[in-house]
Amino acid sequence: MDRNSPPPAPRRKRLTPVDIAIFAAVAALVVYTGYRVNAVLVYHWNWPRVLNFVLRYDPETGRYVANLLLYGLATTLRLALWGTVLATVIGIVMGYWRTVDNLTLRILSRSYVELIRNIPPLVFIFIFYFFISSQIFPALGLDDLDAEGPLVDNWLFAVLFGDPALLSNFLAGVLCLAMFEGAYVTEIVRAGIQAVGRGQWEAARAIGLSRTNVLRDVIMPQALRKILPPLAGQFITLIKDSSIVSLISIQELTFAATEVSSTTTKVFETWILVGAMYFVLCYSFALLFGWLERRAARSRR
Amino acid sequence: MPGRVAEPTPRDLRRREQAGSDVRMIWRRISQVAQAVLVFVLLGYLIWRGAAAMDYGWQWYRVEPFFYRVIDGELIWGPLVRGLIQTLKLAAIAGVIAILIGFVTAFARLSQSVSGRIIATCYLEAIRNTPLLVQLFLFYFVLAPIFGIDRFWSGILCLAFFEGSFAAEIIRGGIQGVARGQYEGADAIGLGVVDKYRFIIIPQSLPLILPPLTGLLISLIKHSAIVSVIAVSELTTAGLNLIADTFMAFEVWFLVAGLYLAVTLTLSICVSLFERSLNKSKR
Repeated sequence: MDRNSPPPAPRRKRLTPVDIAIFAAVAALVVYTGYRVNAVLVYHWNWPRVLNFVLRYDPETGRYVANLLLYGLATTLRLALWGTVLATVIGIVMGYWRTVDNLTLRILSRSYVELIRNIPPLVFIFIFYFFISSQIFPALGLDDLDAEGPLVDNWLFAVLFGDPALLSNFLAGVLCLAMFEGAYVTEIVRAGIQAVGRGQWEAARAIGLSRTNVLRDVIMPQALRKILPPLAGQFITLIKDSSIVSLISIQELTFAATEVSSTTTKVFETWILVGAMYFVLCYSFALLFGWLERRAARSRR
Repeated sequence: MPGRVAEPTPRDLRRREQAGSDVRMIWRRISQVAQAVLVFVLLGYLIWRGAAAMDYGWQWYRVEPFFYRVIDGELIWGPLVRGLIQTLKLAAIAGVIAILIGFVTAFARLSQSVSGRIIATCYLEAIRNTPLLVQLFLFYFVLAPIFGIDRFWSGILCLAFFEGSFAAEIIRGGIQGVARGQYEGADAIGLGVVDKYRFIIIPQSLPLILPPLTGLLISLIKHSAIVSVIAVSELTTAGLNLIADTFMAFEVWFLVAGLYLAVTLTLSICVSLFERSLNKSKR
């Protein structure tokens, strides 16, 4: 056996008295919490009131329709999707710049990464949001977007971008998140490119490929295999980080939860429910990506 | 072979090449530096133009009292400095608790105990799959009233539990990085579990644990900004209050960002210098 192999995995044991004591302690904690809530705080639980904000019964059509929290969830997913796409674009450009000889590009990408990674996301988003709403959007002319136009008024647009009336609000969130996550994607891409052996560069140059072709046909396909798994993880991180943009009034799940908790005053139910929604969402994505990765690894063999 | 000119050896070739490339290198460096300066001047100009176009009345002359004031020859720290100290204090307390949580969780996951592994896994997955902001709201709006915790401590506990999950993975990785023979050796000389970890395993895993753990503590300073949402007094909260008072949004945000940047960058440079000296002494 290899001398440097990790320590042996602990043998599986059955429940010991210590385990039973620990479980009993946890159970006691749960009971004590329940006692504090019901007897000391005298909290009146009202789950239907809050669940009503997930699915609402519409008496006119006689069907259940999505309500505030589900709309928020959809916006969160859209934010994460477009944020990842945009962050990947930023990350590929900046990550490539991190590896080039050109000093200017290296300084630019390095300062971008260090700047973003060393200030709190909250502070960055506050500053950047001011900048977006005062500079970029007037320049893009988004505020006078025609909500009735054929480009906007169709179901595909609604699926991809949500309510046209909230488009500039949504895009502000996407831009903030993408700028922020882009720094992390940059490092993922840089690591992926640098993980491709030097020999690959040299061989590709030796057979006479131009720099662009080397990058496109030789380096990137190999780097992509190293980039994809952490990028999938970054997508989950983005779902979580997107909760921060609720503070600049982007109407995603956390923002909806704040509204629901203040209108219903059922604070406990709302936050427990929203926490559970995020958990289910992120955990299922984590399981899905883990499964895909294992399958890809198996097919490569 | 007489009469023939001696072929240059590879070493000669390399030397000639280097002499040529030195001159070229210097030229390239100069042009690159010039290019870099040009780009940054351009960027600065664009930002300045943007600010001018916004008609924003910069009032930098008003920011000095944010840091300190001298009243009757006595130095009084301003809100930003007090906020920074509060942030560091918050991060320090949360960091200590996070490391404790990390050690307990790591050992629980590595142990043979069923309950330990189940609880540790539940904790890690719960923290990993929910946003920090939602965790903060859960701590502040749900747990704090139930157990009667004040806002300062609910902020600290939330941060500690959040960072503790990362610390747990770092510590577990470090402990598992110790070679198998060390465990067997410790067992062979008859050490108990506690002594085995105390004298053999932990000391050897520390070089693997410490660098990422310091990185974690630095990012804790950054993450602590989020507790401004529940109005715990710290740097970001001080910034928000100043903006509410003075309406100088950009000046204050730039100062706050600059303070965070200064603290985290200084700390990371210190850590990397320390790490380098550690590696040098090992070699």
